[in-house]
Amino acid sequence: MRPENYQAVKLGDSNEYEIFIGPNHPGIEGNYAFRLMLDGDIVVSGKADAGYLHRGFEKLMEGRLWIQNLAIVPRICVPDPAPMEVAYSMAVEEIMGIEAPIRAQWIRTMQLELSRVAAHLFTFGGHAATTGMYTPMFWGVADRDLVLDLFEDFTGGRVYSIYNIPGGVRRELPPEFLQKLSNLLDYLESRQNDYDNLLFTNQVFVERAKGCGALTQSQALELSVTGPNLRACGLAYDVRRDDPYLVYDELEFDIPRQKHGDAYSRILVRRDELFQSIRILRQIIERLPSIKGKIRTPIPNPLSWNVRKGEAYARVESSKGELAYYVVSDGGDKPYRVHVRGPSSMHAVQTLEFLAKGARLEDVAQIMFSLDACPPEVDR
Amino acid sequence: MNKVQIDEILNKVNGIKITHKRKTRIRVDVDADSLPTLLELIKGRASYIHLSAITCVDWIADNQFELVYHVWSYEEKCLISAHTRIDRGSEKNPAKYISVYDLFKPADFFERDIFEMYGVTFIGSPRMEKFILTEWNGVPPMLKDFDAEAYVQETFKWTDYNPDWLQELTDQGGGIAVKPEDIRTAGNTHNMSTHRERDKAKAAAVKANDKMQGWKQ
Repeated sequence: MRPENYQAVKLGDSNEYEIFIGPNHPGIEGNYAFRLMLDGDIVVSGKADAGYLHRGFEKLMEGRLWIQNLAIVPRICVPDPAPMEVAYSMAVEEIMGIEAPIRAQWIRTMQLELSRVAAHLFTFGGHAATTGMYTPMFWGVADRDLVLDLFEDFTGGRVYSIYNIPGGVRRELPPEFLQKLSNLLDYLESRQNDYDNLLFTNQVFVERAKGCGALTQSQALELSVTGPNLRACGLAYDVRRDDPYLVYDELEFDIPRQKHGDAYSRILVRRDELFQSIRILRQIIERLPSIKGKIRTPIPNPLSWNVRKGEAYARVESSKGELAYYVVSDGGDKPYRVHVRGPSSMHAVQTLEFLAKGARLEDVAQIMFSLDACPPEVDR
Repeated sequence: MNKVQIDEILNKVNGIKITHKRKTRIRVDVDADSLPTLLELIKGRASYIHLSAITCVDWIADNQFELVYHVWSYEEKCLISAHTRIDRGSEKNPAKYISVYDLFKPADFFERDIFEMYGVTFIGSPRMEKFILTEWNGVPPMLKDFDAEAYVQETFKWTDYNPDWLQELTDQGGGIAVKPEDIRTAGNTHNMSTHRERDKAKAAAVKANDKMQGWKQ
């Protein structure tokens, strides 16, 4: 709703009052509003208000060529755009019945994990900022920038890389790239102690985050919560392991989980995942030079490419949770229907409204950020 | 649970068509009447408790909506996509279907989304109201017969936009190279020869730029 159309509600003889927070809000990585009914500083009820980032991506995609859509999909989630490209490409490949060459699959896996590292660094900084600690935010964003430098190096784009194409990836890695990646991983690992001292074991933060926005496992399952938010409730479910795609079945990694399901558990899961991603990237650095071959399966002229009739549901694990693309083709040169199932559409609406109930006003921003929602995934 | 056992459960529903696409994907096609029964059956008997998504596809040529329910089982590690077709309805008599909110709470979000974008009313869904497009009063925009581009052309006078800087560029022979309406009338024919010429010119420009690398370093 546009702010000029908002009308204050007069509630008569009552202690309750309404607050409209957003669309520019510290609790979320984009424009999103939240309407709260408060009694004192306790939230009686909250209502999510989306639509500020609605650009009609799904409708747009129906009007563009298969290949043109690659420039649209990453824009659906700014902090973690790589899984969008990969999921879309995987769906088109499944309809076409082609498979990316093995080397391309390894490069894609590397891109996904790098993107996960960048997204988690962003989140841990942002989450700390909602509790009033701004140093971790600067650290997180500064370290994320180093990852973005690498993205620029091998894809040409810092945020939206548009690096994937149905059938493989667009470019070979530049020389010395793996060495640069290895150096970055060394640096990030050396930061582990600093991060822990600054944030994860810092009593100022721990006291604020513990018990805040707690979700039990059964509640999480009922609300279709996925990703780190579900693993913070104790269920080790990860699309990478349970519905394997690319080369994840050849990689060794643990699935971190916590018991309590509160904001603190959620950020700890993200912290552990960051270092698991580094572990995966180290294995990729080791294996990738020995995997030779093409990086792309040839596809017909993409400007007049008719993808055959069919449908596919491609799922990947993004840094937020289960991300899926349902793509339908009627045999034309444009998709007949593309449905984006963003993990945040579950986290930022029903889960957030559920968790906000009974919380204190100053905790609302923290609950929002601890769910790590990405508003464009809701709006699309 | 193996293939035979899951087939046995699914076959309890009348008129079902099962396709095992791969190990983690099963496609089933059912009548609109039996779909809630099917979802209840796989949720209760086969642990498919995670509603991943509900998708609506507008098959305007058949005058039907296709609803696809993607349900995942954490234990079986398998995804069942249940496809069903409902009547597309008309402007005066919009399409209706039964909500599955009593089985899956997240259906609230997806059904509201489909209500907003396709105009399908789900009976029993708790919030059949606007969510994303609160200021939109037109037809549901995701319908195939809503032409978004025509709407933009009629509503916004974007072609009148001609600021001074663009005028200056146009006077010097630059500006908008290909007008959008020219692209539309040309249809899908892409002139590859001009692409190649442009690439050649670009390569020459890059070469010329390389000579100037000295001062950059």
